[in-house]
Amino acid sequence: MAATTESVKTDAAEAPLLNKRNLTLGILLYLTFYSFIRWYEGVYGWSAGLDSFAPEFETYWMNMLYIELVAEVLLFAGINGYIWKTRDRKVMSITPREELRRHFTHWIWLVCYGWAIYWGASYFTEQDGTWHQTIVRDTDFTPSHIIEFYLSYPIYIITGSASFMYAKTRLPTYHEGLNLMYLIAVIGPFMILPNVGLNEWGHTFWFMEELFVAPLHYGFVFFGWAALAVMGVVNTEVMAITKLLKKDLA
Amino acid sequence: MSASQSAVRSRAEAVQVSRTFDWMILFTLFCAVLGGYHIHYMLTGGDWDFWTDWKDRRLWVTVAPIVSITFPAAVQACLWWRYKLPLGATLSVLALMLGEWINRYMNFWGWTYFPVNICFPSNLIPGALVLDVVLLLGNSMTLTAVVGGMAYGLLFYPGNWPIIAPLHVPVEYNGMMMTLADLQGYHYVRTGTPEYIRMVEKGTLRTFGKDVAPVSAFFSAFVSIIIYFLWHFFGRWFSKTDFISDDAT
Amino acid sequence: MKIIKDKVAKLSFVALLITMTAAMFYAPTASAHGEKSQAAFMRMRTIHWFDLNWSKEEVAINDTMTISGKFLVFAGWPETVDKPEVSFLNVGIPGPVFIRAGSWIGGQLVPRSVSLELGEVYEFKVLLKARRPGDWHVHSMMNVKGGGPIIGPGKWVTITGSMSDFVNPVTTLTGQTINLENYSLDNVYFWHALWYAIGLAWMVYWVRKPLFVPRHIAVSSGKGETLITPTDKKAGLIVGVGTLVLVAASMASTNEKYPVTTPLQAGLLRGMKTYQMPEATVAVKVDDATYRVPGRAMQMTLTITNNGDSPVRLGEFNTAGVRFLDPAVHVDETGYPDDLLAEEGLSVSDNSPLAPGESRTVEVTASDAAWEVYRLADLIYDPDSRFAGLLFFWDANGNRQLVTVDAPLIPTFI
Repeated sequence: MAATTESVKTDAAEAPLLNKRNLTLGILLYLTFYSFIRWYEGVYGWSAGLDSFAPEFETYWMNMLYIELVAEVLLFAGINGYIWKTRDRKVMSITPREELRRHFTHWIWLVCYGWAIYWGASYFTEQDGTWHQTIVRDTDFTPSHIIEFYLSYPIYIITGSASFMYAKTRLPTYHEGLNLMYLIAVIGPFMILPNVGLNEWGHTFWFMEELFVAPLHYGFVFFGWAALAVMGVVNTEVMAITKLLKKDLA
Repeated sequence: MSASQSAVRSRAEAVQVSRTFDWMILFTLFCAVLGGYHIHYMLTGGDWDFWTDWKDRRLWVTVAPIVSITFPAAVQACLWWRYKLPLGATLSVLALMLGEWINRYMNFWGWTYFPVNICFPSNLIPGALVLDVVLLLGNSMTLTAVVGGMAYGLLFYPGNWPIIAPLHVPVEYNGMMMTLADLQGYHYVRTGTPEYIRMVEKGTLRTFGKDVAPVSAFFSAFVSIIIYFLWHFFGRWFSKTDFISDDAT
Repeated sequence: MKIIKDKVAKLSFVALLITMTAAMFYAPTASAHGEKSQAAFMRMRTIHWFDLNWSKEEVAINDTMTISGKFLVFAGWPETVDKPEVSFLNVGIPGPVFIRAGSWIGGQLVPRSVSLELGEVYEFKVLLKARRPGDWHVHSMMNVKGGGPIIGPGKWVTITGSMSDFVNPVTTLTGQTINLENYSLDNVYFWHALWYAIGLAWMVYWVRKPLFVPRHIAVSSGKGETLITPTDKKAGLIVGVGTLVLVAASMASTNEKYPVTTPLQAGLLRGMKTYQMPEATVAVKVDDATYRVPGRAMQMTLTITNNGDSPVRLGEFNTAGVRFLDPAVHVDETGYPDDLLAEEGLSVSDNSPLAPGESRTVEVTASDAAWEVYRLADLIYDPDSRFAGLLFFWDANGNRQLVTVDAPLIPTFI
């Protein structure tokens, strides 16, 4: 027992396996940002968000939309570009400990991805229900859509793609080929965003009321199923981590 | 750096690492299942779940179990066959209901000011517990589908009745009789959701009078069994760890 | 240092919670309702609201007000909107800022959807009870299945007081008086909390043991069965049987506590009572109609024939809730919303009394910024560029008659 403590202590100088600070900051980042967004909705949804022809709508909502779209494109390109640019070209020759450390970092990304999916697919999507059942939908860009479709969805897409990119460029497990379920877990939820096209087409041309169970919405449902592919990612990861730990756990 | 070098320094560290991954995986799984399940459920059975004046004895009872047994079946398929964890159904349903409750409170009440007693979610937990227990005791997909799926459908209405019964007390209102739930739907204005959108029992030619709910629950149980099978296989498919070649893209 | 960090973290979290809570209790001034986005031809040719009255402009929490008036279901109903065979008399407010304490068409309570007939006039009333403070735009509104919400004119109403004072007492047929605003809420919370706690206990039972990697090692080496102990099975049995017992017991006790319950009430109401307007004795033929874009004015050439027995004058043109009046004939005293009222917006080339039996062709101009503000001018960009509206004629005794017009509209851009 004493020897164990000793050996752990000697590693104190090297980077910890799990960077807890990053994990906490990651979770807090989404929580804080989305709390601000919820506050913004609470205030400007009512005061400026009911009439899409009003000048204040342009100020508080359309500008929000323009800003977020630009920021998201930049963020997507920036994060993925950075991860790609700093990729490890000798990924197959890293030490097992480094590999384990990277699995932890990868899981920080995955925790954030799960967290972002919660906010996008659960919190803001059902929130859209109450807004559209309460008010009269007079534009495709309602305050609820500007947050749900064009903010919370892109954010989980960026998080998911970054997570995938991290795994692909830094983990031996994903070096060869593409993990099918990982692809589905990222691309499926991503497809929810283009599916907005179907949604708006339908609502614009024949369906002004908000019936959540309308078949028009089933595209979202189908792509939502893809979240289950996270199970395949979990299994792949567990197998990889098992390989690293097996002989020490036995 | 030899390949046989260990990733951890000791067994204690290995245990700690494994445990840390447990929590991170559990959190991610919980959130991702919550997201996928919630978007699925709200768009296939959501309106029945949102409002008390949709929680009728025919369609709500029929639809809610059928569309909600999906994710529990799929997650069970992963957690049981790979880890022998009889948790899949309970985890899915707890995740879904947490997401629903947060939203009903923060948004239905907190943003658009509907009282919580009109927009609380349906209770899916009894059925989920039974699904997990049947899988644990029977260790069989077929048994879980048939016995668990059946129970899942049948338990839904009685599991919710203590919550909705008080809202089915009748009231006379300006010369018409309605339930308190109907009155809630009428009082608390939903501008974008007119009354005709509501899909509830309107009486049928050959209704068995008071037996509407049991008949609906029985039908729902039957379909739940089939859906369980289907989604169990979906779950197995989604649990795969296959790689495809880079060229495939 | 760490203590300071922890304190900062704690305080930020508290600040976050306070901000979110503050946002929830914000009492705002709402913007209008988005009625302007609806295609102009749809607003002009579906439901024509008239004789509208909002009983108050300021209401205290728990006080009531009414919106009342009449609506004509236009005979020239557009093809793209389903006929109003299933319609619901709604009210265009931003959610439950008022509760709808009652709504009537032709004296009949209409909590459900109704069937309306084309070409008929109906009298309606909606009783609202104030619930949430703020300035709200309150519209008359008809939802038509297959057509969506058709929003009528709106007027600003201020609700004063505090939402926490709002009560909604209702007496049930079993003799209890309850407050529907929070009725049975404790019961909802209790059962959900209880079941959630049981579910959570089941989770905790499993999660307290190592989960993924060790169990994967066991299962993949064929020792999966060892992961389930007899105690686990016993625990499972207890939870399973306990669930069934709790469901059965709670159902039985609920039935005992609430012996009288009824199913939800639903079903279309047909045969709504119509309102009989005085028989129109004036006939109007639209010879042509143009909309002058730069002048924000619509010009119609009308041939008016008086088949009645007293002289009449044209006093009002009403379309999509915008009223153009000739003040020499009719002045509004109902407090109709300013932005929808062009008090001097109607000019008629010759508006001298039209004698019985006489026929006259006149130029009628309806001009006001409302054409632009309410986006009615967009009619010329609609795929079915027809306009429609109501013309009101008065005789010297103040008797009014209603005539509808429905004709193509030609835009002029210069």
